[in-house]
Amino acid sequence: MICDHLSRLLALHVIFCAMRYPSIVQGARDFEKKVSMMLKEEPENPKCFAEGRKDFTCFWEEDEERAGSVDQYSFTYTYQKENSSRCPLRVLRAAGGKRLFICHLNRTQMFVQMDIRVDRDGTQIHSRSLLVELVFLLDPPANVTVSSTGQQGQLNVSWVPPPLKYMDDSMMYEVSYTTADSDVGQVEVARACSELILRGLQPGTKYKVRVRVKLDGISYSGYWSAWSDPVFMETLPAELDLLIVSLTLIISLVLTGLSLAILLSHRRFLVKKIWPTIPTPDSKFQGLFTVYGGNFQEWLGRTNGGLWLTPAFFTPEECPSPLEVLSEFSLCPSLASPPLPPKASKALTRSRKEEMDVRKGLDEREPLERVDAALTEGWRTTTHDQWLLDRLRAFHRNPMPSSQSSLLESQDAYVTLNANNRNEDEHLDDILEETLPLEVLFASRKTVLCESHSDLGSVQQSSGSGRLSSQSSFEYPNHMWMPKGPGYTYMAVADSGVSMDYSPMSRVEDIGKVVIYANEYRNEIPAHGRPFPSRQHLVSGDG
Amino acid sequence: MIFNVNFFSFVSVTAGLLALLLILLEWTRPGLPSPLRPICDLRVLNHFIKEARDAEVAMKSCREGCSLSESVTVPQTRVEFDVWEKKNALEQAKEVQSGLWLLQQALNLLRTSVTNTALHSHIDNSIRNLLSINAVLRSLNIQEYTPPASAAGLEGTWSVSSAADLLQVHVNFLRGKVRLLLLDAQACQQDVS
Repeated sequence: MICDHLSRLLALHVIFCAMRYPSIVQGARDFEKKVSMMLKEEPENPKCFAEGRKDFTCFWEEDEERAGSVDQYSFTYTYQKENSSRCPLRVLRAAGGKRLFICHLNRTQMFVQMDIRVDRDGTQIHSRSLLVELVFLLDPPANVTVSSTGQQGQLNVSWVPPPLKYMDDSMMYEVSYTTADSDVGQVEVARACSELILRGLQPGTKYKVRVRVKLDGISYSGYWSAWSDPVFMETLPAELDLLIVSLTLIISLVLTGLSLAILLSHRRFLVKKIWPTIPTPDSKFQGLFTVYGGNFQEWLGRTNGGLWLTPAFFTPEECPSPLEVLSEFSLCPSLASPPLPPKASKALTRSRKEEMDVRKGLDEREPLERVDAALTEGWRTTTHDQWLLDRLRAFHRNPMPSSQSSLLESQDAYVTLNANNRNEDEHLDDILEETLPLEVLFASRKTVLCESHSDLGSVQQSSGSGRLSSQSSFEYPNHMWMPKGPGYTYMAVADSGVSMDYSPMSRVEDIGKVVIYANEYRNEIPAHGRPFPSRQHLVSGDG
Repeated sequence: MIFNVNFFSFVSVTAGLLALLLILLEWTRPGLPSPLRPICDLRVLNHFIKEARDAEVAMKSCREGCSLSESVTVPQTRVEFDVWEKKNALEQAKEVQSGLWLLQQALNLLRTSVTNTALHSHIDNSIRNLLSINAVLRSLNIQEYTPPASAAGLEGTWSVSSAADLLQVHVNFLRGKVRLLLLDAQACQQDVS
């Protein structure tokens, strides 16, 4: 029976010890930490610290070789105005070949001076005088919790202060927080409170937070406790401030609008700068690119000195100049142009034909009323006029297409003129040409250019005059050729500025064949203030 | 117009007289002892403690002209928390009040003994602070207690003979017992629920 009891007691004791073992181990570990801290912080010997309202510990360390046994040492403490007392010592082996001699007291008196004396073999080795309430070394704060406050860059740290009555308001805390990757930490001090809000943290980063405690030094004082176990917490991720985002949007919209407005107001200038109109030589070389595909030789061959004519007709930038009446048509037979050399006449005829053809291609709207006006102007005849007259003769010999019957009527009038003055019939061409409405003249010229080779030889100048070229480089459009009165040269130069709208043309087939030259026809020349620079050109060409 | 001017002038004169009357009344208000609000903030005491510490430090560095003419009775300053907590509030109050009275007597004697003028300000400060502490305790409804005239040999008292010891006792007493009493004061406990 007794054995049973004993065995049960023993079992209980073992279990109890086993349960207490972790706490004992923890306590020992804490003590070791404190000892190491005291060794660092306190220069005097023995090193003493109070852990609470009653516990008091003093120790000193000695080298293994020089230390004696415990019995050799005596620890004596004396409160002011009281008798001295002795403290039992115990030994602890420490790292580095050291021995610790420890004195522990369970009751202390505070606010009185305590004198300590350590003797070894009767000889004093250490002595110290202190006040117990000024050497506190507390345990670190427990239950450190870090939570988010709900705002950007903030964390709320709270802890449980060491359980010391009367000393709560004397405690001072240090909160250390660092980011996970940096070693340098920041420290915030809190007094007499058990929570703290950390501000100014980076959003979306993990922080390590630790707390330690110390008494503030007015009534009680001591050493900094060990750091509490670190707690990791992540701050709220960075979020876009609504105000900043909206302001940014508004400002960007305003800036975009301003830039657009500026761009639009200066678009013409900008377009000119960014996409400058590349001048093309098309205007000076009629048909070079469109008809002959850039083949200059062919173009020269076909156009018969159209080089001279085309600029005259198709220079949009040329300022209108007043019409100069250089030749006056008269029915006097005295005027006769001298015969040209064959080559020159050829060239001339070519050019003249070209011009005429361009001007021809009339449609019904017509020149009859202008004939009279043209006649009255009067042009001086030149070889050019003679060539025109010859052509007129040739034209009369050739049958006219039926579609152009309407124009025959006008021709009749010219024929009449021609009949009146045989010698001057070369002028008729000019006259007739002049009478043409300018749009039509212009249009016909266009169509002539389109009809590249098909009409070659369609009309033969079988005039016996040497002035006419037998080889008909004279290109007629299929439509009729309007006879022109002699003495009138080309007026259609002015038409270069006239609109390119070919809708007045009656013939359907011509519409498709119309050549449209880009960049050439600008309506800068008013319709009625036509210059006649071609006349001058032609004159120069004659020479 | 004249009537308006007269009326306004009359009003202004009346207002001025009224203001003057109020000022006079406030100034000559009879100093009736009004119930003091309890002073529970310990920062007041902390301030006194700091000044007492400064006086002690100054006294330690004093070489001459800083000695007590005779021994004085001072309260014991030691505190054992178990023992202290066993005492009831009345005992604690009595202990503190008698100690304060003893200190006052001692400091008065010190003031007359010390010839070093630098210490005079410190001692005057300390005396003033003790009176303030009395006021604080009064505000907490802690009655003043005057020990009997023959203070020597009283329980819980010491006798000191040096000025440095006196000031040290002074500091320790303020830090210990006085503070504990204020912490435990009933009036403050009710405020802090």
